[in-house]
Amino acid sequence: MTKIFVIDNGGQWTHREWRTLKYLDVDTKIIQNTTPVKEILNEKVNGLVLSGGSPRIGLEGNLGNCAEILDKVEIPIIGICAGHQFIARHYGGKVEPSKIPEFGKVELIIFEKDPIFNNIVKKSIVWESHNDEVTKIPNNFINLANSENCEIQIIKHKDKSLYGFQFHPEVEHTEYGIQFFKNFIKLCESN
Amino acid sequence: MFKSEKFIEETIKKIRQDIKGRTLIAFSGGVDSTVCASLVNKAIGDNLIAVNVDTGYMRKNEPESIKKLMEHMKLNYRFIDASDMFFESLKGVFDPEEKRKIIGENFIRIFENVAKDEKIEYLVQGTIAPDWIESGDDFRDTIKSHHNVGGLPEDMNLKLIEPLRDLYKDEVRKVARSLKLIVSEKQPFPGPGLAIRILGEATRERTQIVREACDIVEKEIENAAKNNNMELPWQYFAVLLPTKSVGVQGDKRAYGFVIAIRAVQSIDAMTCVFSKIPSDIIEKISNKITNNLGNKINRVVYDITNKPPGTVEWE
Repeated sequence: MTKIFVIDNGGQWTHREWRTLKYLDVDTKIIQNTTPVKEILNEKVNGLVLSGGSPRIGLEGNLGNCAEILDKVEIPIIGICAGHQFIARHYGGKVEPSKIPEFGKVELIIFEKDPIFNNIVKKSIVWESHNDEVTKIPNNFINLANSENCEIQIIKHKDKSLYGFQFHPEVEHTEYGIQFFKNFIKLCESN
Repeated sequence: MFKSEKFIEETIKKIRQDIKGRTLIAFSGGVDSTVCASLVNKAIGDNLIAVNVDTGYMRKNEPESIKKLMEHMKLNYRFIDASDMFFESLKGVFDPEEKRKIIGENFIRIFENVAKDEKIEYLVQGTIAPDWIESGDDFRDTIKSHHNVGGLPEDMNLKLIEPLRDLYKDEVRKVARSLKLIVSEKQPFPGPGLAIRILGEATRERTQIVREACDIVEKEIENAAKNNNMELPWQYFAVLLPTKSVGVQGDKRAYGFVIAIRAVQSIDAMTCVFSKIPSDIIEKISNKITNNLGNKINRVVYDITNKPPGTVEWE
């Protein structure tokens, strides 16, 4: 059974990430972001989701052991919202307060090809909830999607299955939310 | 997928392990607490006592229908009219968080009294995932203190049992259907009741206004859905705003309060979209509210906010 853990950064929808994975028959568990990396490695997980977090946590401060996780765990990872912003900061990008924050319904526009987009159309409805956003992509990353008010919606490492999503694929109202997770699970299985 | 039969089986087994004595369930007659009562009842039988509290902030005819439900389910129950205590404790309280915490504490003190008299050790609550997620803690931000989590006093004497903690409403409904409970499709109603649908002080008089308005919204929307004129929303109700506006009623100047109508679609309350109620139905609701509550209400508005950025209830 594929094993994907959710690292809890204190988001409102962390538990929804767990539920979505559980519904897709993945062996999943929510673990605190202070869990020692050694323990995560011992669990032999196939993938990780770095959840969103309390207001502004993506802008400054640490997300528990997320930095060490990114440095030491070589498996597919998706960072969501604050998790995404943290990935960008960790690899040398920049996160700033959004000029126009996004809450609720937004149209996501995908402009690159990637396995994470299998069976997902170029324009779809996603649900957002953020005050800050990535304003500079780190070296070795590319931007795959945007929206009307947020230029960087999905970042991906050039050589690894390491993604950052500004929007929330885990909530009911994101049109292709489950498909994003299915595609991620595939990447975890083939890794 | 979520398998309700398996959940029922595992939960009953776990309840039998966890509960070793007389137990009280906080019973509101909603889907969550009714599912809990049914599961715990199956596990420990008459050692379970269901306690329903009339807070005074109930909807029209609600206390009577809850009594009937408890009888129908053959629960060993106590019904406590605590409306005076609740109205008294919320006098002069305007802050929504303060309201929720006072209400949460009132409930627990009432349960503790029953527990003392009847030698009860355990308190079962129908807490579900959004309740503890939104109540927050040192780690997660507090969106609102759900009375059954963030509203619990620190010095509580009862051992807490919450069998539905990891479920969302759509999953609880699946369990309710498997258990063949008549409340399985009932719309959610918050524990603090109408008190958090009154922005500002939740007095007896203002409760009466919002109770009437909620009744109109419920009846009209349920009727329209029954006649296939609209999809039944996930939740639908009225909110009394503390704002006054000028109107004209019977050739005379009016200066009354505003009612907001709220109706949303969701499956789990974690994200919601506002319902697209057909305009002739919303017009009918507006007319009824201003005609029935004419001397108090002369304006009705419709809430067109999704969640996020809004929440379902206004407080």
